[in-house]
Parts: sequence; structure tokens; C-alpha cells
Amino acid sequence: MADILTHVFRTFMSKTFTNNNLRVTPPSQTTCGGTLLIGEPSISRPLLLLAAVAAAETGMKVIFFTQTQIQSLPVSLQKCVPSLSPESLKKIKFCYPCRVEDLLQQVASLHESINLYPTPPSLIIIDRLESYLCSPGGSSTWGFYPGEQSLAAHLSALLCDTAAFLTQLLKQRSSSSGPCRLITSFRSEVDTRQTVGKGPTTDPILEVLDRYFQVRCTLDRDGSYEAAAAGLQEVWHVYFSGAGITQTSCNKDTEDSPSIDQEWKLLIFPDGLMEFKLV
Amino acid sequence: MYSFLPAVAEQLFKDIQKTYQETSQIPDDLLLALKFVFGSCALQALDLVDQRSVTCVSSPSGRKAFQVMGGSGRLYTCFMSCHFCPCPAFAHTVLRRNEGPLCKHILAVYLCQAMGVTQQESVSDQQMSMLLSGTEIL
Repeated sequence: MADILTHVFRTFMSKTFTNNNLRVTPPSQTTCGGTLLIGEPSISRPLLLLAAVAAAETGMKVIFFTQTQIQSLPVSLQKCVPSLSPESLKKIKFCYPCRVEDLLQQVASLHESINLYPTPPSLIIIDRLESYLCSPGGSSTWGFYPGEQSLAAHLSALLCDTAAFLTQLLKQRSSSSGPCRLITSFRSEVDTRQTVGKGPTTDPILEVLDRYFQVRCTLDRDGSYEAAAAGLQEVWHVYFSGAGITQTSCNKDTEDSPSIDQEWKLLIFPDGLMEFKLV
Repeated sequence: MYSFLPAVAEQLFKDIQKTYQETSQIPDDLLLALKFVFGSCALQALDLVDQRSVTCVSSPSGRKAFQVMGGSGRLYTCFMSCHFCPCPAFAHTVLRRNEGPLCKHILAVYLCQAMGVTQQESVSDQQMSMLLSGTEIL
């Protein structure tokens, strides 16, 4: 499911960007498993919107869950996709559940409306999963057992199971349809980097999410002087990791499992333009 | 759900399925293997299988889920494609302590599926949504 993100990265690759190349490299039809986008919301949110728009431009129907109202597309997106068609945007349905209970109910009831539309959604996006897990009520009692871990597991399992159900449905309706993909952004409250003389600190919620999301895409800000020297506003390192990537890499010689480039750089220019470079 | 299991467990369920189809029994060597792979959880899960505690619930949309009746009479909803159970053992042993891939309820689902003894029940789409979201227990 990292294929949507790599599709975005390739589409907005440095020097190769043109207005029409959103349709050049459609995402693969065979990958499965969810992708967890780890990093600052200031960068993960525009990336999720880019992914939604890129998917919609290829004809995919997208459901985008977020707590924050989207009044307009970010400047970076408007600059990156100046020829964005309103028809494509209509393929994206924005949903604004306020509480985790609302999110669970809305995801759980997606199957109820599938017969009302000719095409089921083939991309589910959750913006800032941590905002739901850490909201009031999210950290107290859940199910029959207290704890955020149980809630994170329930929400992740429901999302994965819903994507699996929609994948089955898409294949029943058209044998050439790809799987229903799932991308969730998450910002860890715990600094998981290894410190001198100590092992890496673990985030118990992230450990649970890693059980369900096969691919992790980490966004790490480059704090070196190079960004400023190159006249850039920000530089971010983008890494793919996880079982889904390992399995894809093992099978990368086969036609059905295209390899995923594991490391990228995201360059953000002062005017908001975003470009990706393969490392 | 097989992709969430170690290969040895996956093979064990396939062996149980094959043998049970042919003889309507699980031989001692496979029961010992179950105990070896899943520990004390295996006996508790076999109890649940004996009591036919696992039901596959489906709704008109085609969505399905498993419901397992626990020893206390509580119903636990488990998903078709990945491991989750709202029971305390799953939260404590699987999620928190990382001591195994599943609880007795999920193991009972695997066993009932392998043996073909899962009960079937139909619910409305709205009831299915409530089961999946866990709102029936809030």
C-alpha cells in the first residue's frame, strides 16, 4: 500500500515534474497491507492530501477522515497540481468524525452504503490517528479492558478488516480492480531515537500500530545547513520500512510485486512547491 | 488471518483441517502440537470449540465477523482478516506483554474454522456496524 505514496513521490520527482504526469505511473494493482505515515502533521497532512488527489486523478474513490475541517487545498498542492480537475476532487469524500467513537462508527458502517454507489472506495486515509487515540475517552476504558493500546488495536484492526472487505468487493465487481489501500498518519509522542548508552525508547501505541500496518513511512526533518544553503525552506528524509517492504523487496523480480524505493528526500521551496528526490 | 500467524501454527491448522475432514477427530499428536505452540490457551480454546461458542455473523452487505461466547457468557467480536479481540487476555498478554499471537477466543475461531463447526447467524447491516465498532458494549 506504499504504492500510492511512491506514486506521489515519483509524480513530483525533482526535474521530471510536468503538469500532466499524474497519470503516467498509476499505482500497482497488487500490493496490500496498510501504510503508517509517521511524522509532523505539518508535513504528513499535505502528503496525505497529495496522496488523495493523486489517487483521485487516477480514478480511485477516496475517503479521507480528519478532525480538522479542510477549507482549501494547501498552497503546495495548488502549485504541484495546477490543472487539478473538479471532477477528480469529487472522488474524494471528506469525513470529519470528532471523537474516536465517531470514527469507529463511520468506518464500521462503510459497508452499509456500498450498494448505493457504483464504485466502492479504494483508498481510506486517516489524518492524525493520535488525535483520536489521545482524545478524551480514548485513554480511559475501552471494550472490556482499560488502555490506549486496546483502543489502538481495535481501530487498526477495524481499518484493516474494512480495507480487506472492500478489496474483496472491488475484485468481485471488476477482476482488474486493485486492492483498497489504507494510509494513516501518526505522530508519536515518544522520542523513539536511540540515546547514548541507552536502548531506543519504545512507544507502546506505535508497537501496536506496527502489528497491523505492514509498511511504515517515516518523515524525518533534516536540520543540517544544506537546506538553507540550497535556498530551501525545509528538507525531509522519507524512509520506508516494515514487513510489507521486506516482502516486496524479496519478490521484486516478479512482475506482480514491483519494488519500492526505500529512501527519498522531500524538498520544500520557499514558495511552497514540493519536490521529491530518490536517495 | 493466516498471514498473522507463525508458519508452524498455519501448518498445524491445515493439518487439523485435513485430519478432521477425514476422521472427525483431532489425534493426540496434533493436540500435543497445539499445546506446544499455544500453551494453556489451547485447552481453553478446545473447551470453547466443544461448546460450539464460535459464530460467524454475516450481514446483507456481505460483511462478516466472528462472535465468540466467552466462559462468562460475554460475547467477543473478532475480525475476519486480522487478529483483534476485546478480551482482557488479548490486551494484556498479546498487546502489552507480546507473549503470543492470539488469545483463546481467536484460537477457538481458527479451530472451529478448521473443523467446520462454526455456527452461522445473519444480522442487519446496522447491527453489523455496531458489532464492528464495539458500540454495543459502550
